[in-house]
This record gives sequence, C-alpha cells and structure tokens, in this order.
Amino acid sequence: MHAQPHDKGVSVTDINDLVDLDKGSLKGHMFTDEDIYQQELDKVWRRAWCFLAHDSMIPKKGDFLQNFIGEDPVLIVRQKDGSVKAFLNQCRHRGMRICRVDQGAAKAFTCSFHGWSYGLDGSLIQVPREGDAYPDDFDKANYPARPIPRLTNYKGFWFGTWDEEAPEFEEYLGSAKYYLDGYIDRWDGGMEPIAFHKWTLPNNWKFMAEQPTSDMQHSEITHVSAGQVLNKGSDAADRTLRGDNPTGRQFFSDYGHGGAWYGEKGSEVPNTGQAMQKWEAQPEIAEQIAKRLGDNREIRGHLNIWPTFMVLGNYTIRVTHPRGPGHQEIWAWTFVPKDADDATKDSIRRDVMRTFTPGGMFEGDDALNWEEMQEVLHGRIARDSGFTYQMTGAPIQWDEGPYPGGSTKHVFSDNAAINMYSNYVDMMNAENWDELKQLREKHRMGKSN
Amino acid sequence: MAEPIKVGAAGDIEDEEALIVPADTAGWDDDIAVFFSDGKYYALNDTCSHEDASLGDGWIEGDEVECPIHSAKFSLCTGAALCLPASHPVRTHKVEIRNDEIWLYVGVPADGQEG
Repeated sequence: MHAQPHDKGVSVTDINDLVDLDKGSLKGHMFTDEDIYQQELDKVWRRAWCFLAHDSMIPKKGDFLQNFIGEDPVLIVRQKDGSVKAFLNQCRHRGMRICRVDQGAAKAFTCSFHGWSYGLDGSLIQVPREGDAYPDDFDKANYPARPIPRLTNYKGFWFGTWDEEAPEFEEYLGSAKYYLDGYIDRWDGGMEPIAFHKWTLPNNWKFMAEQPTSDMQHSEITHVSAGQVLNKGSDAADRTLRGDNPTGRQFFSDYGHGGAWYGEKGSEVPNTGQAMQKWEAQPEIAEQIAKRLGDNREIRGHLNIWPTFMVLGNYTIRVTHPRGPGHQEIWAWTFVPKDADDATKDSIRRDVMRTFTPGGMFEGDDALNWEEMQEVLHGRIARDSGFTYQMTGAPIQWDEGPYPGGSTKHVFSDNAAINMYSNYVDMMNAENWDELKQLREKHRMGKSN
Repeated sequence: MAEPIKVGAAGDIEDEEALIVPADTAGWDDDIAVFFSDGKYYALNDTCSHEDASLGDGWIEGDEVECPIHSAKFSLCTGAALCLPASHPVRTHKVEIRNDEIWLYVGVPADGQEG
C-alpha cells in the first residue's frame, strides 16, 4: 500500500520503501525524514496507548500533571470524585497553553492570555466578557478543552489514547502484560516515584525505543567500562554473575512491545540492585511476590511498551517524547516499592542516578551512540544504506513454559526489534485499528497460524 | 434584624474550606460562602465581583480568599478586593458559633462592617 500525496504535486515518503523486514534491513531515512515523522505523529502517536501519569503523582483532588502524547501537550487531572480526566493543554480560544506549569494543584485552569477558564474536567466554565461582549447564542458547552477519549488505570499507571477504536489497554498489552506485571505488580503496597529527571537528546525517538524492547547485546560492549566500575559499587546488580555466555530470554508482543532478562527459571541471576534483592528476600516480601506473580518472578531486565513506556530492572521508569525526527525528550522517574525502608529506597535512587539519568554512566554511553548515528545520517549515502537486523539465530518459541506469547531462548536477539518495526510499519500503513489488527495477525512472527 | 439560619455544625467545614449556602436557602440574591480558616468562620457573597466565579471554591489562606478563576483576592473579614482584576468588594455576612452550631445572619454585615 502506498501513502497518498498530501497535496497535488507533493510526493510523500513511503515507509514501505525504507523497510525490508524479510532482509532485516532499515534505511536511515526513517530516522531523519520529516515527512515520515509527520506520518508517525498521525498514525503512531494518535493511535497508540501512551503513558500519562502514575496515581502517586496526582494523589489529591485538583492535583495535575502535564505530559505529552507525541508532541501534543496534555493535562492529567485528579477530579473531585477521585477519578482522573485528561485533555489537550490548548485553549479553545486562541490556542495558548491552558496551564503553563508542569505539575501542581488547581481549582480551575485559567488561560493566561485572555482568561478563558476550564474546570478540572476540562469543561469551559468561564469566559471573560461573556455577558456584555459575546452574542447571546454563544455557548461555553461547545468549547471544552479537547478530552483524551480513552483513559485506563493499569495497576496505578494511567494510559490514554486519542483513538476511540483502539482495543482495550490489556488487549493492547497482549503477552506483555505478564512481563510488565513482573516489574510493577510485585508488592502489596504498590510503587512511588522518588526522583525525576528530564532531558533532551539529539536523536530519533526510535533509536531509544528499540533498545529496551530488544537490544541487550549492546550492553556487553557499549557499557563494558561502566559495568566494570559499577560492579564494585554497593548499590548495583553484580553483572559478573551473568557469565561469559549468559542465559536469558527475550519476549515480544503483537503491538510492538518487547523486553529481555538475564537468567532463567531455576537459575536466576540478579537483574535489580543489591538493596532491592535484599529487601525482596525478606520472607514476608518474598511471600507477597510469590502470591502476586506465581513462582516465575525474575523476568526483570529491560522492557518497552510501544511506543515509549520503558521499564528497566533497576527501576528507572520513563516515557520519551518525539521532538522532530532528530530529537527526543526523556522523562525518567526512579520508582521504588512504597513499603520499602528509606535505606533501600535511597540505594535504588543512587543506583539509578549513577546509571540512567542525564549524568548516569549507561545513559551517557547510550546517548553517544544515538547522537553519532544521527550525525552520520546527515550523509546522503549514509541515509540510503541500510541498518542490519540479522541476529535471529535463536528460534522463536510460542507460549513456552511459563512464558506467554512469542519469546526467544536467548537474551541477545533482534527478534523483538524486528517485531517492533513490523508493528510500526503496520501502524504506518493501516488506516484504522481494524486494519492494524488484521495486519498484525498476518505478520505474527515465528508462528504458523 | 433578620433571624439567623443554622447552616451546619462546627467541624462540618474543614480548615481552608468553605460551605456554600444556596441563594434559595439563604433567601438572598447570591449564594453565600461560609469559610473556615485558622479556627475562624467568615461569610461572603459567593460570587466574585469581577466575573462569574465561586469564591467558596477558591484558595483560602489566613483571612483571605483567592478567586479560583482569575486570582483576584478578597479579605474574608471585610470583603474588600485586595488586588486586580477585582476592584469592587464583595458583601460580608455575620457568622456566629452557638452551641457548636454555625449560624449565619444573612444580610447582616460582619462585625465592624458597614451594611
């Protein structure tokens, strides 16, 4: 299927010309092309379920957080009755940002341009001079802030989508539910964020999305120096325990999610920091985890819920926002078990700070790769040549043992990346969710239907 | 002098919150907001003198309330407008606590205020 021209005489870049998944090849243009990017905003970002907030970020009535779906700013607001609503942070009058701060508590949101005022639910409640300067038939009910029509709370995490036809969130998660639960549904007391960093990087958003989805193998090269240093640290997981030929597994889900972890059932290796390991080893906590997750509970490593909700084993939990084809913004929280003692929480905080924050060692390693890749793509020859996804030696298994969905019996594999891009291409080609579902079923990897 | 009406019991209004007495109940031309702040009770006409907004929904701190819509501030004691965009006061009403009950004197200015 070929995309239609926007306007007469203007050709549109066709994603199908840039991707050949059978050959494991992606052309650099898909990380640089403005036209592809604009298609992504429409076909990926307004259609996917995106992370908005955690319950603990907006505990009380009137509490709000500003976040983004793609490039669209949205407000997520705790209502007076305890429910949550979310809407586009754009005034219906002249398009100013309704609320200019990142987070706070509000009784109402008043635009600082002309003073149109919105209730906590986004309804337009007050228009200055309505009585004497507007016609009688002007009706405020016609101009609410644009609501995000679909919201869901998944175990404390709020997700939203603009697409009324999107499947329910759990259907969207598919097999990823099992793996995500392994990170976020372990403890009776739930989770809370204790640190928050935001930064921007000069690279295409897909470079980063791909990594927690599929790429564990870079870590043994890119991060080898940092890993060496951190292994001596009191907070980090001891990465030497993984050995030279590590065991592990990678999973992928229909709608582009993926992840991987070291170790396997019966011979687990630590994927979390030392304080977390110690805290979770306490009998009453271990019992909680076993009760909630069953006997297979060490599946933590890295994970991405497409498009960009990322969770790592040391509990940096983040969302990234695209900022044009060549930039992205990262919003990264450090989450801890709410019931953990202060020393454990602080150890988790330090470990994440040293690794996955703007000054973190792993983060700096990764940022260098992505920035260089983006720089190289300024070259015309470079953009035309393909990136290679051929690490598919380990076979895909379906519903193997305790592992639902498709997974690969190797911690190093390109399968989840290929699946992610397969879903991406299907989103770019599909006109609606029904079409997308059909395409995904057709393109399910490693399974004869 | 009008007879007071009972609008609640002490403790019904949490600190820095307000209770709205509807105009019909009060027999008045506006809703009346009864505020509780720092251990004291106050009452004002609920509608901001600037635009249509409920002061009872506003930010209450000390003896001031800030309109939730355009941030005009009013004195809870005198009803005076303390900053733009409001420039006119709002009407005060007398409140009294009797036997742990909140009694509102609709139309009677708070003590020390002109009618």
